[in-house]
Amino acid sequence: MKLKGFGTSDTARGLTLIAPPALFALLLLAVPLVAIFAFSFWSQDFLTIDYTPTLKNYREALSEPLYGQLILRSVLIAGAVTLTTVVLAFPIAYFVSFHVPANRKSLWIFMITIPFWTSYLIRVFLWKVILGYNGVLNSTLIGVGIIDEPLTFILYNANAVVITLAHAFAPFAILPIFVSLEKIDRSLLEASRDLGENHVMTFLRVTLPLAVPGVVAATLIVFIPTIGDYVTPRLVGGPGGLMIANMIQTQFLKLNNAPMGATLAVIAMAIVTVIALVFIFLNRRWLKARS
Amino acid sequence: MTTTPPIVSLRDVHKYYGTYHALRGIDLDIGAGEFFSLLGPSGCGKTTLLRTIAGFEDLSSGTLLLSGQDMAGVPANRRPTNMVFQSYAIFPHLSVAENVAFGLRRRSDLNRQAKAALVEDALDMVGLDGFGARAAHALSGGQRQRVALARALILKPKVLLLDEPLSALDKKLREQMQNELRRLQRHVGITFVLVTHDQEEALIMSDRIAVMFEGEIAQLADPQTLYRRPTSRQVADFIGVMNFLPASLTAGSTAASVEIAGLGRAAITPEQCPAGMPTGDCTIGIRPETMSILFDGEPAPARETSGQVHELAYYGDMTYYDIALDGVEKPVTLSMKNLVGRRVLERGETARISWDERALIAFAK
Amino acid sequence: MTGRGGWLRGYAVLYLLFLYAPIILLPIFAFNDSTIIAFPLSDFTTKWFTEIPNTPALVRSVQTSLIVAVTTAVLSTLLGICAARAGARYSFPFKTPVMGFIMLPLVLPEIIVAVSMLVVLMALDLPLGSWTVVLGHTLICTPFCIAILNSAFGNLDVSLEEAAFDLGESRWSTFRLITLPLVMPGIISALLISFTISLDEFIIAFFLTGTEPTLPVYLWGQLRFPQKIPVVMALGTILVALSVVLLTIAEIARRRGIARAGGKDTGGFL
Repeated sequence: MKLKGFGTSDTARGLTLIAPPALFALLLLAVPLVAIFAFSFWSQDFLTIDYTPTLKNYREALSEPLYGQLILRSVLIAGAVTLTTVVLAFPIAYFVSFHVPANRKSLWIFMITIPFWTSYLIRVFLWKVILGYNGVLNSTLIGVGIIDEPLTFILYNANAVVITLAHAFAPFAILPIFVSLEKIDRSLLEASRDLGENHVMTFLRVTLPLAVPGVVAATLIVFIPTIGDYVTPRLVGGPGGLMIANMIQTQFLKLNNAPMGATLAVIAMAIVTVIALVFIFLNRRWLKARS
Repeated sequence: MTTTPPIVSLRDVHKYYGTYHALRGIDLDIGAGEFFSLLGPSGCGKTTLLRTIAGFEDLSSGTLLLSGQDMAGVPANRRPTNMVFQSYAIFPHLSVAENVAFGLRRRSDLNRQAKAALVEDALDMVGLDGFGARAAHALSGGQRQRVALARALILKPKVLLLDEPLSALDKKLREQMQNELRRLQRHVGITFVLVTHDQEEALIMSDRIAVMFEGEIAQLADPQTLYRRPTSRQVADFIGVMNFLPASLTAGSTAASVEIAGLGRAAITPEQCPAGMPTGDCTIGIRPETMSILFDGEPAPARETSGQVHELAYYGDMTYYDIALDGVEKPVTLSMKNLVGRRVLERGETARISWDERALIAFAK
Repeated sequence: MTGRGGWLRGYAVLYLLFLYAPIILLPIFAFNDSTIIAFPLSDFTTKWFTEIPNTPALVRSVQTSLIVAVTTAVLSTLLGICAARAGARYSFPFKTPVMGFIMLPLVLPEIIVAVSMLVVLMALDLPLGSWTVVLGHTLICTPFCIAILNSAFGNLDVSLEEAAFDLGESRWSTFRLITLPLVMPGIISALLISFTISLDEFIIAFFLTGTEPTLPVYLWGQLRFPQKIPVVMALGTILVALSVVLLTIAEIARRRGIARAGGKDTGGFL
């Protein structure tokens, strides 16, 4: 039984309210997405666009090793970033949820989110300063005497991209895991202890399975924007750390080949969608198997 | 009961939510100054009916008159009704006085002092004098309920609608508020329509009660009639405790009689039996307090039978016995006052039982 | 329990150090009297800060960014109010897909949003400018506003509005007297967060900006010139301080809102 509203024409009122945001999304999201899809089937003919539908761009994107390499690298880097970020974030979320007193939790969450709200560009740039040949990390390590030569594997390559993005997306991973941990009824843990399990087994058999939805959310939230990141690979990635977004930008703004850029964007979107769907599917299966 | 013209009048009211038929032809008149209760299990449509009167739900068909005026198309804010919500709906950002004064905002005929005086009076009436400056979230459950009452009554509605107003309170406070609500209603003389699922609460407070099941009014009567003469087994089962025994009805030349499993043959008057009930298999209902255990050769005032104590529950003031009668599958429940010197039987003991055929009620099978 | 809490706490402190490492460096280099962003440090100076107002292009980009961010915040919060209200209170056909579509930018890489809007603008031969940036930013900020406002509207007891209506108020005055005051903390949070996102957003602005770059686009250009970096550091320091102040206000507003509704603080933004 539903009891809601003031009785009259709830549907009309709901539609009136949803219309502005829905129309906005339609005009500025649906139309552009359709357009970019259409563009990917057209081709650039010097300064004009040839509107005859063709699969030329897709053939090129899939056969040209440069594109394939960029796409593969983007997926691998985004995967590495996601894994690193989530693995590093879980203990923090667990600590705040289980070991921080209730009245201090929002302070901790606040502290974790603050760095995230400071200029992304400047943060990425500062990682370049930290990881550089004469950077903060190298000069500190040399000063302390741990190393003699500056480490070179930490800047202008994929490692630097992973470290920087793991930093940039940390709160995105911590928050959903924290929320799912907070939802766990603490008496379940006591029940597990009461039934004879120790701390470790209680964690493995109760806490971790119940935190899975949060981990899945964190994985998606980190993976999706990471695969399309532009700034970090450009600033700290060097030639070996460039990703698909950099190529899309190059096609659009440097080579003036919008159709090719559109094709790469569509491919990137397709990859994101497929991976997201696989994850959601696995999560469903997991939840179903447990219920 | 309703000699004065009705304040609330519903005729063949139906309400659908999609395909769900929430109200199925409600006909109801509520008189001026009545304390009226809508009683039923959750999902029976009682809250929907109340919200229909308030104007929060449209009728799918039928008519609703409030003091003779058709309410079709009249929104809740124009109706002469006010509501006390189940959650009390005390505005958390306003003080107690601001909450109570809320409905007076549009009364341009009153100046500030007059409004303040009315608020004073209303708070005084519900026993909250001096609470006006309190923040709303600093109130206890009982105080919130009083604020909700004052806020609604200050507008002097023709009908005050109360949606399970006592369900959030603990037992002691609930009993106290039942008395207070009843007293308040007599004092202000406004018609109260109360929705509740608590049959005891309805019996204590109401002038009349409509028992609802599945969107229909199953019985409409005053508390005593409802308890003593329920017209259906469902109503009898919902109000208080009743034992049901299989029986067989035979119509005699002058009076009807029933053959009851475990009790034997008994005469039955038309009053105890719904009109036009067919002869043959039926069900006989008998309330626990109309039967008693006979101690130490005490003679039976009316009829007598015997059985074995199957289970017992000691309540302090009362003891409830489940007695297994010969030829009856389910033990019957009876209650005894724990008077001075009266002993409590033990399980397995054989008990002599007194019963009275005037207490029987027949239901169709 | 305390043993495990012990090493977890140690890890948490290290992790916070990792999170704050770049931000700690920011003021250090902002006050360092050298154009080389590396240790060892030179003398203390405030000249990079005084240089900010004397760089007209920088000042203009700050102005552009502020205008874009304020407009974006207002627009996306308004759209967010509509969507969150509709989602929390009403049912209508295709509710789930429509709401899902509006939230879609949350799970779309920003570069996709940027290039697809660029494609349409190019096709329609429309000029790029601050307004195109505002549109793009509003698109990505609206889902955040909806997420924040959903909980504000969702926590609102429907019977409070019904009570006001029952006591004689109209639909509009009910909204003004009851709904608006009670969701105001959520609205303030939504405004501040969309403002902050817009102020910091680079990639959409990079693609859609016209002749007047926003601050991040301007900074992007400056990062190539080493002699300009210290000024960027100084500006970054100011931005960090500003963000902390804004976020603190947002957090206080959120806590007030919870306290006002009589609820319990369960912690956290978003």
